[in-house]
Amino acid sequence: MTLHAYLLISLALFSLGLIGALSHRNLIALLIGVELMMNAASLNFMAFNRYVVTDPTVGQIFVLIIIGLAAAEVAIFLSIILRLYRAYHDIDSEKLTELKG
Amino acid sequence: MPDIVVYIFVALTLIGGLMAAFARQVLNTIIGLGISLLGLAGLFLNLGSPFVAAMQVLIYIGGITVAIVFAMMLSISMSLLPPAPDTQKRIFAILSGIVFFVALCSMIMGTHFNIIPPAPESAWSVGQIGHALLTTYNLVFETLSLVLLLAIIGAILIARKDHPTP
Repeated sequence: MTLHAYLLISLALFSLGLIGALSHRNLIALLIGVELMMNAASLNFMAFNRYVVTDPTVGQIFVLIIIGLAAAEVAIFLSIILRLYRAYHDIDSEKLTELKG
Repeated sequence: MPDIVVYIFVALTLIGGLMAAFARQVLNTIIGLGISLLGLAGLFLNLGSPFVAAMQVLIYIGGITVAIVFAMMLSISMSLLPPAPDTQKRIFAILSGIVFFVALCSMIMGTHFNIIPPAPESAWSVGQIGHALLTTYNLVFETLSLVLLLAIIGAILIARKDHPTP
């Protein structure tokens, strides 16, 4: 496995996340697309960390911080989803159009 | 790590991603996300960092995926079929994904990276990470802990039931 192979894998994962985030209507499935994109980014960090950088600590710390921020993001997102469900009894992104002008 | 194992992890990552992108039931997309994260943890292991791989399994698969499953059980009636997918939206999403992939693929293939030999084993230890987190990257560490605290408080504030004001 070369650096280019890892970059292509993470690019494919990012594209799949993009497709998932753009095509799904359910808010939870949309969140999963975003999570896939974040993981593609962390795979990129680890690959560059192994093949290009002299001090391998930096990339690992980057990935740990990405994981921590993803946890915070998911907590907030899920609480917003629960709130929306309680108010509208639906989490379909096409139907939540109250703020549409 | 033998080559065949690495290829299995790559296949897990991509199959999980495909499931997450194209499955219709929400539970199947969550399972796809879990499979993809497991494959990624294996790739991290192959890239020389067992600690990050363990954290990926613990926090992502054991924490985040389970939290998403709980939120799904609280918000959707699982017996109902999801609404029919919007064909036009799906076609545009797939097209944009393909355009993005091709554009960046040509860019990656045209770039030459200056590859150096891997760092010695001692530079990869958990002790080095801990030392760097408490000295050079101390500010990042503390900021992250503050962000997590704010996320917990915010999640409780947003999701709790409204009490009538006295």
